[in-house]
Amino acid sequence: MTVVSMEAVIEPATAQPTARKSGLTRIARPMLGLLVPLVLAGGWELVVQLGWSTGRLVPPPSRIYAEFAGLARSGELLRHVTVTLWRVVAGFALGTIVATVLGAIAGYSAMVRRLVDPSLQGLRAVPSMAWIPLFILWLGIFETSKIALIAVGVFFPIYLGVMGAVLSVDRKIVEVGRAFRLSGPAMVRRILLPAVLPAYVIALRSGLGLGWMFVIAAEFMGASEGLGYLLIDGQQLGKPAEIVAALLAFAVLGKTTDWIIALSAAPFLRWEDRFTRQETADVDA
Amino acid sequence: MLMLENVGKTYPNGVRALEGTSFTVKPGEIVAVIGGSGCGKSTLLRAISGLDRPTRGRVLLDGEPITSPHEKIGIVFQEPRLLPWLSVADNVAFGLTDRPMSRRRHRAAGALSRVGLSDKARVWPRELSGGQAQRVAIARALVPQPEVLLLDEPFSALDAFTRVDLQDHLLDLWNDLRPMMILVTHDVDEAIALADRILVMRSRPGRIFEEITADLQRPRDRHSAAFDHVKANVLMALDRSLVGERVPEVAAQYPGAGAAMWW
Repeated sequence: MTVVSMEAVIEPATAQPTARKSGLTRIARPMLGLLVPLVLAGGWELVVQLGWSTGRLVPPPSRIYAEFAGLARSGELLRHVTVTLWRVVAGFALGTIVATVLGAIAGYSAMVRRLVDPSLQGLRAVPSMAWIPLFILWLGIFETSKIALIAVGVFFPIYLGVMGAVLSVDRKIVEVGRAFRLSGPAMVRRILLPAVLPAYVIALRSGLGLGWMFVIAAEFMGASEGLGYLLIDGQQLGKPAEIVAALLAFAVLGKTTDWIIALSAAPFLRWEDRFTRQETADVDA
Repeated sequence: MLMLENVGKTYPNGVRALEGTSFTVKPGEIVAVIGGSGCGKSTLLRAISGLDRPTRGRVLLDGEPITSPHEKIGIVFQEPRLLPWLSVADNVAFGLTDRPMSRRRHRAAGALSRVGLSDKARVWPRELSGGQAQRVAIARALVPQPEVLLLDEPFSALDAFTRVDLQDHLLDLWNDLRPMMILVTHDVDEAIALADRILVMRSRPGRIFEEITADLQRPRDRHSAAFDHVKANVLMALDRSLVGERVPEVAAQYPGAGAAMWW
């Protein structure tokens, strides 16, 4: 569904001649992808309804829905979602700022790159989860250590992406800026930023993906709130429906935040045909 | 008037790309620089543009030394080098500094219609053909009305038909304001079709080897005897420029070969 609206934003004009046909396939093709999960869910529901299985460990859709609705009605869901979302946003923002600045400088200056990059690559070799004990010792078990962990996870893909993007800016295009006597700031604004943007958006999206991964790890290390807590709680109290409800919330949140980044960048990336192709490939996949 | 005084360029690795090059371009004059690859013709052009600084000598435009890109000097590269994130019209307006923006737009639109691409104003560069993109690049370089237009093998990536078409078109545009033009090329026909003077260069170290005047009336007929005469002169000069650096016996063994294979 997100993919459909995305395409509509990107190519409103070109789609017109074959609007009817492509409109149909646009709806029909993603629907095809829903067929398998719907059949599986419906089948399992039937199996439990017919009493062939109790569905105690693998809850049927109706029970998951009831759990989800119950959590939503009581305000529990909103509370956990807000806490988790805040952690991701804070960690993501922190990681993004540091990674963007360092990545840009390391990409721009060979000197800084030689100085800093080897250390950062070394740190990158440490699985980020391995930081948890140290972060707890340093920053305590509350919010700070969780946000720090998420920021570390977000940092590396964005740092690498920004550095690579700055490094690969076409020298020939930069020369056009020089030939027109652009000042330093104008060169950054009119040449470097637009040139780097496509790779930056991709880096942000992979960074955000890791942010969602790390928030779970962070919440597993002792939290009283958040979707990660809900997962642990569901496990300890033997409530698989609650676990699946939390998983669903993660899926919706992850996809939505990713979609927000992609959508807000789309107007600036219309020039890039790769962007549309990538989204079309998403539909196929 | 553009003056080069003993311009030379030695790269840090010791390669002498250009040596002792002096010549003068008068207002409204078109000069072609021709020579084999590695003869320093692009180095020469980049020194004039101010993108690279020569290690010796200097370039003067109306008495003013050129040490960095100058507003009176426009350049067209071998590739169009359009900015892919700007529409064609915005690419043409890229070098303009007029305010308000409506004035920039107006001038860019004028330049775009002058190169016959008004209908492409709102299109992305990637949707243009190679010839169209190079026309946009020429419009972008000409719209600030430079006194000097430098062209670095501008048509070498295009097919033969588009190339001739664009050469005629370039002359047409040149006629509007008659800037000085310096055209680096390795296409003998192109040099003679466009230039008043042809500077033949030779390599190691790169320098001007011979100067040939193409005193032909415009518009030039590429099939006239006078055109062929100038062409024969240029080809002979190119041959001679190569003989000095290759093993002499080879050139003697195949006297006719050089004309077709000099590059």
